[in-house]
Amino acid sequence: MLYSFTLRFLTLAIMWIGLGVLRTENMVDSQFFWQAAVFSLLVLAGALIEFFLGYDGDKSLLPVVQTILAIGLVFLIRIKPSLAEDQFVWANIGLMIYYFILYGLKDYRKLEEYQYLWGLGALILLLVTLFFGVTIRGATSSLKFGQFGFQPEELVKVALLLFMASYLDNNRELLRTGTIQVGRFSLPDKRTLGPFLFIGVFVLGLLAAQKSLGTALVFFLLMVFIIYMVTERLLYLFISIPVITLTGALGYFLFGHVRVRVATWLNPWADSVGGFQIAQSIFAISGGRLLGTGLGNGIGAYQIPHADTDFIFSVIAEEIGFGGAMAVISLFIIVVMRAFAISVRAVDRFGQILAAGIGILIGVETLIILAGVTKMLPLTGLPLPWMSYGGSSMVVHFFLLGVLANISHSSSFSISRISIGKRAGVLE
Amino acid sequence: MNGIRKIAMMLVFSFVFLSMGLVYWQVVNADTMLDNPANRRAVFLEKRITRGGIYDRNGVVLAQTKQNESGKVRQYPHGEMFQPLLGYATVQYGCSGLEATQAENLLGINDPSILRKLQNTFELERQGNDVVLTLDSRLQEVAYQGLKGKRGAVVVLNPRNGEVLALVSQPSFDANEIEKDWELIMNKEGSPLLNHAFSQFPPGSIMKVVTSAALFRAGLDTTDLYNCQGSTVINGQTILEQNEKVHGWVNYDLALAYSCNTYFAEHGIKAGEKSFLRALSAFGFGQKIPFDLYVPISSISEETPVPKTLNLNLFAASTFGQGQVMISPFHIALITAGIANEGEIMVPHLIDRVLDSKQNIIYESKPEVWLTPLDKYEAEKVKSGMILAVDKGTASPGALPGVRIAAKTGSAEPGGSQNTHAWYIAFAPAEDPQIAVAVLVEHGGTGGGAAAPIARAVIEKALEIKEGEK
Repeated sequence: MLYSFTLRFLTLAIMWIGLGVLRTENMVDSQFFWQAAVFSLLVLAGALIEFFLGYDGDKSLLPVVQTILAIGLVFLIRIKPSLAEDQFVWANIGLMIYYFILYGLKDYRKLEEYQYLWGLGALILLLVTLFFGVTIRGATSSLKFGQFGFQPEELVKVALLLFMASYLDNNRELLRTGTIQVGRFSLPDKRTLGPFLFIGVFVLGLLAAQKSLGTALVFFLLMVFIIYMVTERLLYLFISIPVITLTGALGYFLFGHVRVRVATWLNPWADSVGGFQIAQSIFAISGGRLLGTGLGNGIGAYQIPHADTDFIFSVIAEEIGFGGAMAVISLFIIVVMRAFAISVRAVDRFGQILAAGIGILIGVETLIILAGVTKMLPLTGLPLPWMSYGGSSMVVHFFLLGVLANISHSSSFSISRISIGKRAGVLE
Repeated sequence: MNGIRKIAMMLVFSFVFLSMGLVYWQVVNADTMLDNPANRRAVFLEKRITRGGIYDRNGVVLAQTKQNESGKVRQYPHGEMFQPLLGYATVQYGCSGLEATQAENLLGINDPSILRKLQNTFELERQGNDVVLTLDSRLQEVAYQGLKGKRGAVVVLNPRNGEVLALVSQPSFDANEIEKDWELIMNKEGSPLLNHAFSQFPPGSIMKVVTSAALFRAGLDTTDLYNCQGSTVINGQTILEQNEKVHGWVNYDLALAYSCNTYFAEHGIKAGEKSFLRALSAFGFGQKIPFDLYVPISSISEETPVPKTLNLNLFAASTFGQGQVMISPFHIALITAGIANEGEIMVPHLIDRVLDSKQNIIYESKPEVWLTPLDKYEAEKVKSGMILAVDKGTASPGALPGVRIAAKTGSAEPGGSQNTHAWYIAFAPAEDPQIAVAVLVEHGGTGGGAAAPIARAVIEKALEIKEGEK
């Protein structure tokens, strides 16, 4: 109780201090104080709900995400106030979804039963986007309903994750040992691997067709890591290396914009148009130095295109410096590690795979976008979870967080029951 | 599951690797990135630094920052007269010209004093340094009025110490309006944002003063007479005089005065490739010009600025400034100043001194020799040819009563059927040079017709100023 409220107050303190700093620089309207107040109330109400309904899961998971969220909100107000208004609404909706999943989802194991529905759902969502989607910045990844834009690939993340977790849970042994011997390696047979490969290749192919290559890369790494995690066979990791090299090369020769991405990655200074955003991102980040220029004092917020989505981290790194950027990265590491901790403690294998899968997904997404804005990898447009502007991403990541909390909650419940049983001598 | 731990380790390792990236940019490379010209941080720093002023040599304000109700405004009282030399400094469009290259001085961010370091750390409001230029706004005015409405450049130097006294480029723009009229200025004909004094053009007959050095060095007798017949054929290529004029019997002095193409082609080739290429290097071809602004490297060949060997046809054309010779008006002015200064080209400079906010001098320029392409005796020979050019040659439209002027004209073919570029170089008084001028009027026709009057006006004004100072 004390722990969970302390963390909540710390989170809110970060947000209000940020707002206060922006206020002294006349960079925030008074309406944001109302929105921030609503958000704060919701955060505290959440803590109360946990208190009254009982929550035995991981105590740090949500507060850490809320801190990430609060920092993101402050920076969005600083970068583009008009978008921050929406983002507060999405943050509130996200929190509600989290609690809805935490307490509404009675038994996450039920999710396993719809294995092929998830796979099919992922495919349908992507096909619909491919045919009816709107092309934004070269990628066909949005659906528009009037003014309301929606990114189905975010939902595909959930569907695909659920499909993989269920599928791997069911076929773990076969994938692990294999039935067909090829030289020194024993490989799983067609029937075991077939559906998985089919859906995997199809999803990645569709994403490539939509030209959302960043998301395709996330999915690919997610699949490889999850399979490796479940089977513990290095074979699967090694197979992925030629596959990704070949796909990368194919993409390079097939798509003009991939070539541009690679060229601007190698030399962003030469091209004032294509390399502009990476160069400006690097200027912003390097200008931050150790302690930053101070909130509201950077140039990145004005200079970098899409500072509100893909490049929000560059603005953060500039204005609160290396220290602040490392703090944000640490928060993400904590979230990912908590997910793995939950996975290790989960009582059933499906829960284990799902929790670790969520951890991998969040980790991989964060790494790819952050490596992109720091010029360590070619840039791929991806939102930074809970920070970048965008409703779809916010909702989906809070959904996944809710699932994590649910797994954590139910497993600790089971564990405590088991230990009580042990103590009572009922169970051995 | 063991796999979870391994994956967790991999992800943590990746995050650590990512933080190395941050260390690389934010700690190791923070300063390098600040020097990148596309980085607008320096301009942005002005939120709390008042950019220093830019002044001419007599203290006339060329650019200053004034505080008004809506904030700081950068003002350029002379409109387009000093542009694009001064340049602009905006958050939106970055910066250019001196405002860009002198940003560190104007913002006072290169000052290593402890006080400045403290001010930087605590981000205090402060005043940048003032930059005093060697320009004389009276000469700039005359040069500007002469060139206004045309395309081209005027560069005026003090041959004795390398001071840039005036530097005009046309068309130009008004930096006061840059943010408002950006699109208009960008799309205006004739590249107003580009400094034409630092752009390259074929020099035409101006090149003959460089070729002269090759003749002298090869030991050719310049008193020998040569019969100009209006054209000559070298290696199958016909070389014509301008307007196919026949100059008859000429020696070196007359050939320079009449701007005889065939004389310089024949004698240049006689002097040999080695002497010619050596003369080019001695005058600064293929070398970076040490200056406060970027000046492109002059070249005589499209492949390399100064190649090891020359094809004979290109060699012949180069001797009188055609072929592939490309040089900026600024470099031409330096060559002129070199002849005026007894064969020594001084390092050109535009910044006279830099003063901090308390008017202490923190930088002061000193005259230095850059190159010595000619010895005193050789410089004297070129000079006598140039004097003859004013007295009875092509440069006579530049003559002034009571002053002896040394000058040379050029009419360079830009290629195609376009009108020739009009060049004119001059220095005066010939016996004790105080001023060296180079004028280029793009597509202006002949040097004597289009460019000489501008140079004459500048020289007249300069000598008048000199007279007033006595």
